[in-house]
Amino acid sequence: MIYTLMYGLTIGAILYFIAIGLSLTFGTMRVTNFAHTITYTIGVYLLLTFVTQWKVHYFWAAIFAVLAVIPIGYLIERFIIRRLYGESLDYTFIATFAVSLIGVDVVKWIWGVQPKALGDPIRRYIELLGFTFPVYRLLIVGIAILLFFALQLFVRRTMVGKIIIAALEDREKVRCLGIKLDKYFSLVFVLGSALAALGGVLYAPITSVHPYMGTSILLLCFAVVIVGGMANLKGTFFAAFALGMVVAITARYWPPGAETMVFIVMAIVLIFRPIDV
Amino acid sequence: MLELAGVDAAYGHAKVLHDVSLDLKEGQMAFVIGRNGAGKTTLLRTIMGLLKPRKGSIRYFDNEVTGLSPEDLYQKGFRFVAQDKRVFSNLTVRENIELAAYSNREPLRRALDKVIEIYPKLESFLDIKAGKLSGGQRQILLVGQALVGDPKLLLIDEPTQGLAAVVVDDIARILGSLKGRVSALIVEQNLPLMCQLADKVFALKEGKISMIVSGGSEIANTGSFDEFM
Repeated sequence: MIYTLMYGLTIGAILYFIAIGLSLTFGTMRVTNFAHTITYTIGVYLLLTFVTQWKVHYFWAAIFAVLAVIPIGYLIERFIIRRLYGESLDYTFIATFAVSLIGVDVVKWIWGVQPKALGDPIRRYIELLGFTFPVYRLLIVGIAILLFFALQLFVRRTMVGKIIIAALEDREKVRCLGIKLDKYFSLVFVLGSALAALGGVLYAPITSVHPYMGTSILLLCFAVVIVGGMANLKGTFFAAFALGMVVAITARYWPPGAETMVFIVMAIVLIFRPIDV
Repeated sequence: MLELAGVDAAYGHAKVLHDVSLDLKEGQMAFVIGRNGAGKTTLLRTIMGLLKPRKGSIRYFDNEVTGLSPEDLYQKGFRFVAQDKRVFSNLTVRENIELAAYSNREPLRRALDKVIEIYPKLESFLDIKAGKLSGGQRQILLVGQALVGDPKLLLIDEPTQGLAAVVVDDIARILGSLKGRVSALIVEQNLPLMCQLADKVFALKEGKISMIVSGGSEIANTGSFDEFM
């Protein structure tokens, strides 16, 4: 059971990295961003290229992959998402879903469709309370916790963070204070894209890499955003780990239902706390 | 300083303002009255750039400002205090003021002093979340926020609506202290307050200006405001 919980924490951390960008993007811009899959997937494939073809060390390859995704995120925001501000959710859904489909085809075109694997880059284990854990998985959980506190500091202590909190509450009022939100929206989007790529590069060594990997995890991340509360940064953190546990525990006792159970939990949450958009 | 000529505004197919023309001189405090749905809030939102007029022009110090964004109008000195009394509830009172100071590049201390000057009690609330303030305190914070920087035209929507009498007195005192210092266009249904402060009254009926009364004594002696309340 303890290994199941460890698996749940790892999945929860990965979900958190990806969901936080979705949550911020929806909260500030009212955009349901399916294009998020693309930055996640491209980040993973860039990592794969750096590690397997260019023989770069995993640590540096991961950093380069996350940095390389930043201009891609910016271009998506600048030329597609920015045109959707204030539009109905249907339009944002269709446009970003189209981007994700195009992105998947681009990935297939460049890297092919065959699943690939990376393997644990650390390959070390640690003994805790009589159990042996892979250091890499503990590292993923540790980074997620650090990120949570770093984001809390960012939104609480910086002017940009305060503007983002204000925009999450009332965009119109922020505009009426003379603050142009476009550049902050770009920043939020790029930050979210980079975090999705971070989730991807951390998850890649312990999962199968394929062009559709973003699509399957994105649906889980939307569930995290809904359970955690739209644009609720703390809620997203706790929901990610809670749903990670749901996946892990269900997978232990009923493997085919692992992901389904996440949506059952989401449905129950929606019954008691409907979304107000 | 502010001149609207033949302004129409609509939400989708629902036209709310019809051929509205009005003018406001520098330092004047004007009130807009009218029944629910008359278009008072729409008028303020249109002036603030939150709603683009379908037709007509808005001029400010003889410059065309029709269709400018709220951000640009803010930099020109427009300040909008909405009816909903919504502050940024997850930020502290100090941070709410800090946001206004940031966009004006005004030192935070000076911005805080301006707000505290109009309502000294707010100083003891600076570090609590603005969401914990009472409705009246929120309204005062919002008016204070509007005074940060160099405001020239205040657009205030129903500042006393739903507030206790004692808070209404505070708001009246604050608005009175601003009279002559900045221009203001205030939507208000509180007749005694309006008679006390107004230099000019615009009565809206079904989206049209149906009466304009100027001058303190004329306003005080006009008995026909009731039909707009």
